[in-house]
Formats: sequence, C-alpha cells, structure tokens
Amino acid sequence: MNGEARRTHAEAHRDISAQEEKLMIDASERLRRPAWLRVWGVALVPLFLAAAYLGLVWSPQDVNQGNLIRIMYAHVSVAWIGFLAVGLTALFGALFLWRGKRRDDVWAVASAEMALLFSALTIIGGMTYSRPTLNTFWTWDAKLTLTALMVALLVGYFIVRALIDDPVRRGRVSAVVAIIVAASLPFNYLAAEWFRTLHPQRAIALDGSGVTMAPEMLFTLLFNTVVAGLVYAWLMVERARLGRIEAQLEAERAERELAPAASTGGVVRV
Amino acid sequence: MKGAAVSRWGVARKRLVYGLFGAGVLVLAGFMINQALNTSLVYFILPNEYAQQPSQYEDRRIRLGGLVAPESVRFDDLDLQLTFLVTDGIESYPVQHVGAPPELFRENAGVVIEGRFDEGVFVSDNLLIKHSEVYEAPADGHIDIEALRESLQ
Repeated sequence: MNGEARRTHAEAHRDISAQEEKLMIDASERLRRPAWLRVWGVALVPLFLAAAYLGLVWSPQDVNQGNLIRIMYAHVSVAWIGFLAVGLTALFGALFLWRGKRRDDVWAVASAEMALLFSALTIIGGMTYSRPTLNTFWTWDAKLTLTALMVALLVGYFIVRALIDDPVRRGRVSAVVAIIVAASLPFNYLAAEWFRTLHPQRAIALDGSGVTMAPEMLFTLLFNTVVAGLVYAWLMVERARLGRIEAQLEAERAERELAPAASTGGVVRV
Repeated sequence: MKGAAVSRWGVARKRLVYGLFGAGVLVLAGFMINQALNTSLVYFILPNEYAQQPSQYEDRRIRLGGLVAPESVRFDDLDLQLTFLVTDGIESYPVQHVGAPPELFRENAGVVIEGRFDEGVFVSDNLLIKHSEVYEAPADGHIDIEALRESLQ
C-alpha cells in the first residue's frame, strides 16, 4: 500500500544521490519490524512461560524418572522442531533449485540457521537429560550418531555458503547439502526402532499404534512442541526479513560494481 | 560449449546433469548411511546372542544389553562392588561392576553394560540405563515387563 506509493516516487527521481538517499530511507523503513511480527513476538513470552509451567510444575512425575521427566519436554519438543526446520530448509532449497527465485534461498538460509540452533539445543538438552537417566552424556548409538552427523552437515551448509560468492551457485550447492541432511531425517526419526540404541524409542507412534505416555504428559509435550514451533517460525520469519534486505543490498552492490556510471536503474527488488 | 548463446537445449541439458548429479549424491549418501548403520551400529548384543558364539567375542570389549534379573542385585557400598544378573529371558550372565548404581538402576530395568567376559563373568566398566518408551504417573504403579523386554529388540 505504502510501498506502492514509494516505488512510483522512486521512479520519478533519476538523480543518483536522491536515489541513494531514497534507498537508505527505504532500508530503515524495511528494518522496522512489522506490527504483526511484534505482536507475535510479544505473545511468545506468556506462551513460553505457560509451556515452562506445564513442564516444570503441572506435569506429574514419572513412575521411573521422577522429576527428570521434565527435561524430556524441552528435549523432545526442540528435537521435533529441529527436524521440521531441517525439512523446511530442504524444501526451500528444492524450490530454489526448481525455480531459482532468490526469495526461496533467503527462506532456506533463515530456516537453516534455526535448524542448526535447534539441533544444537537438542544435543545439549539430550545430554542434560541423558546424564541422570541413562548414566552417560554421550554414546555412539545410531540415533545420537545420526544427530551428530546432522549438526556437522548443517555447519557444513554454512561453510559452503561462506565459500561461494556467486549467489546463484551458493544457493544451489547449499540446497543440495540441505536435501542430503533432510534425507537422513527418516533414519534419525526411526533409528531407535530400526536399530538397537541406548536412546529410548518413540512414545508416540504416528501410525496410530498408540501413545505410551500419560495424557497429562502428552498434553505438556504437545503444548511445548507448539510453542517451540512458534518460536522457530518467529525467528525464521525475522531472519528471512533481514535476509531479504541483505540480498537486496548484495544485488545493488553487485550492480554498482558492474556498471558504476550507469547505475540509474531501478531498485532491485527481491 | 556452443559459444556464448545458451540454447534451450543447453539449459535443459544442464538441468539434467545437475539432476542426475544430485540424485547420484543422494543414492550414494543413502547407501553409505545404510552401510554404516548395518555394519557398525549393532549397539549391543543380547546374552543369548553371546551364548551362541562366545568365541567370537573372546577378549573383545563388547556391549551387552538386557534386563536386570529380579532379586539378583547385590551392592557393597564400602568398596562399591555391584553385582547382578543380566538377562534377556533366554540366557543370563553374572555382571561385576565397580561403582554406584545409577539412579534408574533397579530390578527389571534395561541396562547396557560395557566391558568384557572373564571366565563367565561380565566385568563392566560402564553401566548405562536403557529405559523403555513408557512414561506414566506413579499412581498407576505397575511396570510392564513385556514392554521392557520388547524395548530391547
């Protein structure tokens, strides 16, 4: 609405300095977080507190683990959202490979950063949970090995991106990396069922064969998962917003370097 | 290859090459993961698997998985000697472990122990807990041993 008006305004000015000034105003305007995103962010605070209350206070103790079960809510919810983040990174990457829109690459990066964050948190939470229950911080069973591999590949994703200057090639190569990481997800998800692991099996079978978890615990876990998902989505949307500005600045810089004298063209929009 | 102009055919061919390359990488990755998981990731063996071929595991550090047999646990808290029987319902072996039992260690709990056999006794230096995927409030009380046993498979 407002953006439309400004765009036509910009087209009227062919003067380079005016255009530069316009770009700066445009950038600071764009840097401002939209109202709906602010509301979402503020709403996350009470939701997070509610999730923490359910997990730390409201949920009953476990018959075997006692209060240690409370760590599970943080660990499992974060792990699931980490899986989701990896899956969406691959999806955005595949979209970029398919139709080559810069926007898809921006979303892929935003999701990938959250995938790395949530997988790292999964391992930290898992170690915290596993030391008092399983009596070890770490062991190389199938599930843990695959998760470590996932984190390593996600780090590789960002190394690859840092090494390639051409935005198109960068997006393509990193998309392939993301798809490879996503290919390990089903193995990871079903690792405890397919292989002998120290990691416990799933308590919630998606094929409908049952939930081996008390209803209050299930509710707490699902609530925590939804909140973790909303945190992930908020961070991703915010990161993608910054990513769009980044991509725009990068494109403008490239254009200026190619044709310094003829940079009268319009604003490159992503 | 045909000069600067990129023909439609060139683009299609490039896509095909990329696609084939991508698919090749995926197949290779899947194959490698499958191999790794099949060969090296038999995380533990069961007592009856050991009983079938004890010579195969002679003088080798192994992981043994099973349940703690009921009424078999002895713990000497002066010199931290823990002994119990590990069983899979078919075979059971005595286990010697130095150290305090972990918090979730109890009768019928799933365990994975690391160490080696010494004249029929498994001498463990690492005692890990393998708990089942059943989470319930204490009011219920009972523990499903069949489910625990299945969780070892």
